[in-house]
Amino acid sequence: MNLRFSPVRFKSNSTAAALAVAAAVMLVPANLLPVLSTETSGYNRSDTIFSGTVELWRQGLWVIATIVFTASICIPLFKLAGLGWLLLSVRHGCPHDSRRLTRTFAVVDFVGRWSMLDVFLAAFLTGLVQFGEFSSVQARSGIVAFAAAVVLTVLATHAFDPRVLWPTPAKVSPNTSRP
Amino acid sequence: MGSDVNLTCRLCGHKHRPIRLAPGERALCARCSTVMATEGRFGPEAALVFSITGLILALPAALLPFVIAGKLGDERVCRLFTGVGALWDNGMRTLAVLVFLCGALLPVALLGAMAVLHVPACLKWHTVNIPSLPRIVHILEHWAFPEVQVLAVLIALIKLGGLVDLTVGPGFWCYCAMAVSLVLAQRSFNSELCDPAPVPCRTDAAP
Ligand SMILES: [Zn+2]
Repeated sequence: MNLRFSPVRFKSNSTAAALAVAAAVMLVPANLLPVLSTETSGYNRSDTIFSGTVELWRQGLWVIATIVFTASICIPLFKLAGLGWLLLSVRHGCPHDSRRLTRTFAVVDFVGRWSMLDVFLAAFLTGLVQFGEFSSVQARSGIVAFAAAVVLTVLATHAFDPRVLWPTPAKVSPNTSRP
Repeated sequence: MGSDVNLTCRLCGHKHRPIRLAPGERALCARCSTVMATEGRFGPEAALVFSITGLILALPAALLPFVIAGKLGDERVCRLFTGVGALWDNGMRTLAVLVFLCGALLPVALLGAMAVLHVPACLKWHTVNIPSLPRIVHILEHWAFPEVQVLAVLIALIKLGGLVDLTVGPGFWCYCAMAVSLVLAQRSFNSELCDPAPVPCRTDAAP
């Protein structure tokens, strides 16, 4: 869906930078603290995002492990790296490759939502697996930090105004249409 | 029937002359190639139909069982909000609210907002002028993640396959259908309806 608006308000690249830094800070506890603890027949185990992914891999669930690793580790880092690159390009004067930077912003904006995968997964497992001492799953504090990091990266992307990537004022052109 | 649109690229701010889009066509920015507008392939009513379908499906998705899990004779029925409730009871209330918003409330609100935008045009009523509605739709789009929740549930089912006995309930299928309806409604969305105060096409602004 594409919407038309009057010029974007409430956009500020310094706000985007502050939110991106806050997200980077939150990613530290998100990756160090356990996100889930599992109890199965008296055996207790706590997993961080990374150790949970490794465990999935060890169980032979390679596709699932790859999806979780991509959504929970690669995408947040890619988003922060992408935003950092965009903000630095703007800070160092007129960006020389506006087209590529705009595409980077579009990709960063698009992929961000998939980081919420681990948050939904933790919520669903916590709700479903409650069989007392036989089997139970509990969400741990790491998932709160991770959710905060995801929300902050989404807010940082929203706060960034991609129009500053273009050096010249907007002119009127004919569109190109494509089926 | 096509429509005239007068567009400013949301990514680079480049302004464009009006163009008539045929069904299924997209208008691309001349400067950065971003898709600025699409004309639905199934006509203007499609977005309304998909939005209402999604809204109808949201009710059974919320009420019917998502997954039924069994272990050693014990059975547990999980619904859409069971995870939210478990997080809330665990003391993770902010996280519970976030999951509730992104996975349930905001997708429904987005479907509702798209339906409200399309009803007057499809039923030939006078356009209801709610200036903030297009902006609300845009914000909701960025925070409604039903497709991510669908993937999370599928991953959970595969992960738990050897641990507990699982039966997928009708609530989950309704939720999947609602997520698909939302995507189809977004793809059929007529951007022309999003201008709260349509301005005449500025052909005179051409260079
Ligand atoms: Zn553009």
